[in-house]
Amino acid sequence: MSYIPGQPVTAVVQRIEIQKIRDGDNLILGFSIGGGIDQDPSQNPFSEDKTDKGIYVTRVSEGGPAEVAGLRIGDKIMQVNGWDMTMVTHDQARKRLTKKNEDVVRLLVTRKSLEEAVRNSMMQPR
Amino acid sequence: MFCRNQTGRATIARGSALEMEIRRGRFRRSFFLDMLTLQDTDIQKKIDYEIRIREGACKLLAACSQRDQALEASRSLLTCNARIMAYMSELQRMKEAQVMQRVARRSSDTGANDDRHPCKGKVAISDIRIPLMWKDTEYFKNKGELHRCAVFCLLQLGGEIFDTDMVMVDRTLTDICFENTIVFNEASPNFELRLELYSCCSEEDYSAGSTPRKLASKLSSSLGRSSGKKMRAAMDPGAGCPISSAGGGATLLLPVPSVAGPKYHLLAHATLRLPHVQDNFRTHDLTITGNEECSYWLPLYGSVCCRLAAQPHCMTEQMMSGALRVKLGGDPQGWTNVYGVLKGTNLFCYHRQEDVEASVEPVLTIAINKETRIRASERDPHSKAQSICISNRYGGEEVTHTLAADTREDTQRWMEAFWQQFYDMSQWKQCCDELMKIELPSPRKPAIVTPKQGSLYHEMVIDTSDDIGTVTDILTHRIEDFDLTSGHGTTPAWMSLFDESPRSPQCPSRLSAHSPGPSPSPGRFRGRRPRSPRSPRCRRTPGLLSSEISLTSDSDSPCSTSPCSHHHGWSETPSSSSSSRFRPRTLSLDAKLTSLRGRGYSSVQRSCQMATSVAAVPRPTQTVLSSSSSTSSNSSSEGGQDAAFSRPSIARRSLRNLRAKLDPRNWLQSQV
Repeated sequence: MSYIPGQPVTAVVQRIEIQKIRDGDNLILGFSIGGGIDQDPSQNPFSEDKTDKGIYVTRVSEGGPAEVAGLRIGDKIMQVNGWDMTMVTHDQARKRLTKKNEDVVRLLVTRKSLEEAVRNSMMQPR
Repeated sequence: MFCRNQTGRATIARGSALEMEIRRGRFRRSFFLDMLTLQDTDIQKKIDYEIRIREGACKLLAACSQRDQALEASRSLLTCNARIMAYMSELQRMKEAQVMQRVARRSSDTGANDDRHPCKGKVAISDIRIPLMWKDTEYFKNKGELHRCAVFCLLQLGGEIFDTDMVMVDRTLTDICFENTIVFNEASPNFELRLELYSCCSEEDYSAGSTPRKLASKLSSSLGRSSGKKMRAAMDPGAGCPISSAGGGATLLLPVPSVAGPKYHLLAHATLRLPHVQDNFRTHDLTITGNEECSYWLPLYGSVCCRLAAQPHCMTEQMMSGALRVKLGGDPQGWTNVYGVLKGTNLFCYHRQEDVEASVEPVLTIAINKETRIRASERDPHSKAQSICISNRYGGEEVTHTLAADTREDTQRWMEAFWQQFYDMSQWKQCCDELMKIELPSPRKPAIVTPKQGSLYHEMVIDTSDDIGTVTDILTHRIEDFDLTSGHGTTPAWMSLFDESPRSPQCPSRLSAHSPGPSPSPGRFRGRRPRSPRSPRCRRTPGLLSSEISLTSDSDSPCSTSPCSHHHGWSETPSSSSSSRFRPRTLSLDAKLTSLRGRGYSSVQRSCQMATSVAAVPRPTQTVLSSSSSTSSNSSSEGGQDAAFSRPSIARRSLRNLRAKLDPRNWLQSQV
C-alpha cells in the first residue's frame, strides 16, 4: 500500500458488494469510515503509512450488511461504485457511500493480508 | 378518637396540621366528611407533611433578608403548593371512585373485571437543557445592568411532583441546564410527565413591598425603559397560585395566602409521554406562556432537550419463576429439569434455584420479545400437562424450544405470565427493546464548588509552554478512569511517556513528577482529578464503571437525529464492546505522541454527525480542558449504546458539524 508520488497507485483489491438495508427512511451499510484528505493521517490506527490520507474502515457492525459482504475493519476503500476514494475529503467519502438512490455499493478495498496472500502465492514453487 | 376502619365517618387527627388549616378556614371541612380507608390516611399524612413544610417556607420567606434565600424559599413554597393540590385532587378522585363503586354495586352489574393491566415502571428524566436565544439588543442596549432571572423546573407525573434546583440565568448563558436526575417510581405506560419552567426576576433594587405606590409609579415613569418595565412588573401582584394539572382540586382549596417575597411565574411548559422515551437525548417543544413585557421573561428558543428513560417493571423484575422441564440438546425424548426465571426479554433457565442468586450462567436463555411466538400444545394423552412451545427467529432460522411444567395449573400460570409479558411489552413499546439505564443521583455531593459562570475559555489554564506534559497528565486521568477500569489489558500508546524512557525527551521534569513506576496501573497522579460536578453520571459503555468519566462524556454522544442511531436491527452492543477492546483514545496532541507506532491505538472513534454543544456553549460545569475543547466537537454517532451527556440540538448541528470538520486536530469517523 505504499505509493510513489506522481506514479499511479497500485494495490491488490477485493471486490465487495454491499446491499444496503433500509431502516425507516435511511439506508444503512453498517460500518464506519475514517480518514480523508482533510483529516490528520497520523491519527489513523489502521494505516501502515502514516501519511496515507485514504478512507479506512474503522468499525464494522456485527451482522450488518458490510460484515456479511466481507468488509473487514482496517480495510482501505479504494473505489465506491467506480468513484475514487483515495483522494477525497471525509465528507465526500461519506456522501458517496450514502447516496439515497443507490441500494447497493460496490467497493474495491485493499488490506495488507491481500497483498501478502498474493505474494505468498507467487512465491510458492510450482 | 381516630378510627381508621369506619368508612363514611370523617376523622381528622386532632392537632394535625390539616386540622389547624381547617380551623383557619383554609380547607372546607365538608370535603373530609367521607374519608375512606387506609389509603386515605396515607394521603392525609402526606398532606400534613406538605402543609408543615409550607408553613416553614412561609416563615422563612418572611424572615429572610437575602435574595437567594428568598428565592429558594419561594421555590419550595411553590412546590409544596403544587403537591398539596395534587394530593387534594387525588383524594377527590378516590372519593369519586368510591361513589361510582357504590353505584355500581347497587346496580349489581358484575362486569367481569378481566382487564389486563400493564405493569408499572420507573421513568427518569435527566439533564434538562433549555436553549436561550438572546437578541443582540440585549447585549448592546443594557450595558450596565445584568438582567437576571431565577428559574427552576417543576416536574409532575401522576401524583409525584419534584422540582429541580434553582439556576440563575443571565445573558451570559446560552442554555439553562438542570443537572438533576429525577426518577418517578410508579408510572404507567400512558403517563404524562408535565414539565413546567418557572422563573422569577431577580433584581435587588426592587423591593416592591416597601415602596409606596405613588412614588413607585413616579419612579417607574422616570426610569429608563427596561428598568421601568421591571418596576411596573414588580408592582404587579402577578399570579399567586401555581398551576396544577388536575382542575378538581382547585375548587376545594381556598386560595393560598399570598406571601410577600419573590414570586415565580410559569414561563413555559411541556408534556412528555411514552413516545418521547428513548435512551438518547431528544429535543421536545416547549409551549411558552408569557411575553416580552413580563418581568420574568427569558428569550427561550422554544425547545427543551432532555433524556427521558423508562424502565418498566417487566424488564427489571422477575415476572415469573418456577420449575420447568425443557427439551435440550439432541435427545428428542429427554427432558431436563431447570428453574426458569422470566425477566425482561428473556426466559433464563438455571440448573437450580440457587444459581439465580449466585449469578451462575443460565443453562439456557430463551428470548421472549415481540417476535416470539408461544403456544401451548397438547402432548401425548398420557402425560400430565400441556407443553409450551416457544419459537424465535434467529437470523433466517426458526428455533423452537419445548417446555413443560409439572402440573396443569403451573402450565396455565406460565402461559398467563407470558401473556402478561407480551401485553406489557406491547404497552411499553420501545422501552422493552432493551433495558434503559437509569442512574440514581448519588447522595454524596461533590466537593468541588462550581466556579463562577463564565466563558468556557476562561478555564483553560494550559500554558503553551508545557503543552504536552499537562495534557498528557490530564489524559492519564481519563484513561485510567476509563480504559483501565474496564480491565483493558493493553496500555495506551502514550503511557510510555510515563516510563523513564529515552523516547520521551520532552519535559522530563514534569514527567518525573508523576510517574510512579510501571505504567499499567498508574495510581493517582498528584491526586488531582479534573472532575466536574457532573462526573458521577457518565457514559455507559458495557464493561465500564459509570463513574468519573467527565471528559469522555463529551466525546461520545449518541446521535438522536441522524439516521445512524436508529438501527437497532442488529445489536450495537457487541460491536461497541468489540470496539472498546481497542478503543482508541483521541489525543489531540501533536504528532509526537501518535508517532509512537505499533503501540496500540491512539485515536478515538469520532464522527462528524453529532457534536456536543460544549464547544459552542460556555458551561462552567463541564470539565474544561484543551483536549475536551477539541474532542468536544466530535462525537461518536454509534446508536444509543454509548449514551452520554452531550446534548444535540438540531439547530446547532450544522454549526457544530462545520466546526468539527474545520478543526484539523480531529480524525473524524462517520457511520454509513
